[in-house]
Amino acid sequence: MSAAVQANQDSRAPLLQADGVSIQFGGLKALTDFSLTVRQGDLLGLIGPNGAGKSTAFNVLTGVYQPSQGEVRVAGQRVNGRKPHQINHLGLARTFQNIRLFRALTALDNVKVACRAQGALHPTGMGVSAKLSNALVNYRDWWRALMLTPHFQAEERELTRQAEHLLEVMGLSHRRDEEARNLPYGEQRRLEIARALGTRPRVLLLDEPAAGMNTREKADLMVLIRKLRDDFKLGVLVIEHDMKLVMGICEHITVLDHGETISRGAPAEVRGDRKVIEAYLGDSYLESHGGAA
Amino acid sequence: METPALPVPEARSAIPPALRGILPVLVALPVLALFQWVTNESPFAVYLLSVMGVNIILAVSLNIVNGMTGQFSIGHAGFMAVGAYISGVMSLNLKEVALSFLPVAASDQVLFTLALLVGGLAAAACGFLVGLPSLRLRGDYLAIVTLGFGEIIRVVVQNTDAFGRALGLSGIPQYSSPYMIYFWVFLTVLVARRIAGSSHGRSLWAIREDEVAAEAMGVDTTGYKVRSFVISSFFAGIAGGLFAHFVPIINPGSFTFVKSMEIVVMVVLGGLGSTTGAIVAAIFLTLLPEGLRSAFNLLGTESTLAQKVDQIRMPIYGLLLVVLMLSRPQGLFGTRELWDVLPRWIPRRRRGLS
Repeated sequence: MSAAVQANQDSRAPLLQADGVSIQFGGLKALTDFSLTVRQGDLLGLIGPNGAGKSTAFNVLTGVYQPSQGEVRVAGQRVNGRKPHQINHLGLARTFQNIRLFRALTALDNVKVACRAQGALHPTGMGVSAKLSNALVNYRDWWRALMLTPHFQAEERELTRQAEHLLEVMGLSHRRDEEARNLPYGEQRRLEIARALGTRPRVLLLDEPAAGMNTREKADLMVLIRKLRDDFKLGVLVIEHDMKLVMGICEHITVLDHGETISRGAPAEVRGDRKVIEAYLGDSYLESHGGAA
Repeated sequence: METPALPVPEARSAIPPALRGILPVLVALPVLALFQWVTNESPFAVYLLSVMGVNIILAVSLNIVNGMTGQFSIGHAGFMAVGAYISGVMSLNLKEVALSFLPVAASDQVLFTLALLVGGLAAAACGFLVGLPSLRLRGDYLAIVTLGFGEIIRVVVQNTDAFGRALGLSGIPQYSSPYMIYFWVFLTVLVARRIAGSSHGRSLWAIREDEVAAEAMGVDTTGYKVRSFVISSFFAGIAGGLFAHFVPIINPGSFTFVKSMEIVVMVVLGGLGSTTGAIVAAIFLTLLPEGLRSAFNLLGTESTLAQKVDQIRMPIYGLLLVVLMLSRPQGLFGTRELWDVLPRWIPRRRRGLS
């Protein structure tokens, strides 16, 4: 809570910061010395060939994996060792490369699950008193739900309203009561974003949001991502394969290969970087075409 | 963007919000009294209804873990045993005690309720102890742990003098009445339904659907799994307590793995996640042996064969499961409730969780 307030006071304060993060699985270095800063209003890209460690980077940032070295800070708080849901409460939400919706739940309920998590104000401290007050809030919540108190009913209506609003923003109002698994692919992708927005994030991580979309849908998506960033005052980090999409919307790009950051900068700089071309097309390409484009 | 005119939730607002919480209880109490009055005549009906009620509580409570949360617990009889033995021992010891300011019957019922609650809480505590370390496990591993827990409870009881060892406890005062049992059935169902319709229920469903995604969306998955386990074991303990107070004797043989499987079969048969499905399946599977027995009797087979029905019950369950899994893998109702699968001309509730 307090972190969020502080962050509000300075809108350019880093919301998400990775500092020299490395992660090792046995002998495999999946990510080496990865650094990144996301501020409000940023639209950053993370690219690299298959297996470069992009999704691993996402998983470290969101707490699925623990970094072997380095530090991740969300809203100014060090989050190494915290669980994904705690990090989410600090204002970090994500989508998944292979869509992970709650398939048997309706579109509305998918979003309401996420809205819920933020509904009660969870003190995010790690101390005993924070844990105790968390527990008390929790028991009161259960009691209210079981007794169907007017407060609970009002809260439920509010959640529904929020979720409906998000569905509308993502153009999914007509799917409100449809089970998520029955939605067409593109709409599932959008529902995932709506769900992520339900947790009221300050930073949104999108893992290949355009995968499987056609050119037209991709163009729409680009517009949408920009709009979301502005309307919800987010910092956005996008993993993407589609160079056109990334170059088109991202202001700053980080390129990974074999877990190492091989280039970073504005799209134009990155595009011309010899190392990037090497990583994507192989050095034989460079030899035959005589250097960088 | 089109916003279709959907029936808004306020459609049910004929009942003032402040009353909606308590209304079902106000309706249930007289209905239960009437129920008690109707059934009081036939001891056999009372017994059968009692068994049925206990089974419904067990199935509906197990459905919270196995159905809504998507975990696989196969040690429910263990929690039932904890409730049965703790409340049974308590009632045995308090047999001679009476609250002086109440008539004897009322005093008995008060003490009985107390014993039930203690039994339920003891089972819930066991649920917490088992759940806390093991709910980090997934799927099959959790199943093994719960199975182990059920067996441990049975073995402990079998070797403890206070619980009568293998002979079991006899002489527990027969306080259970259909009224009491169905009041708890009602409470269990109410709690299960209200959890399902709340944000807590949605979190449980989310865990069932995709744990990783649920965690990423801010759901404390471990916490919710433990809580669902605790609630489920509490009601299993209550069911055990009720059971202990209407059967002449409880012994470890009543709480074996077979009993656990019976409850799992009920939940799977009704459809994992469907409360009404669990109820229907519990009723069906309680009546099935009786039905078979009558059928055999009607056919004029020798009575020995009819008596064997009890012994061939498990093969029949197995056969039922195989047939069901082949023809309808999601169970009778799937994740839906009775009112979702009723014919169209009956007015139904909106789809969704609540």
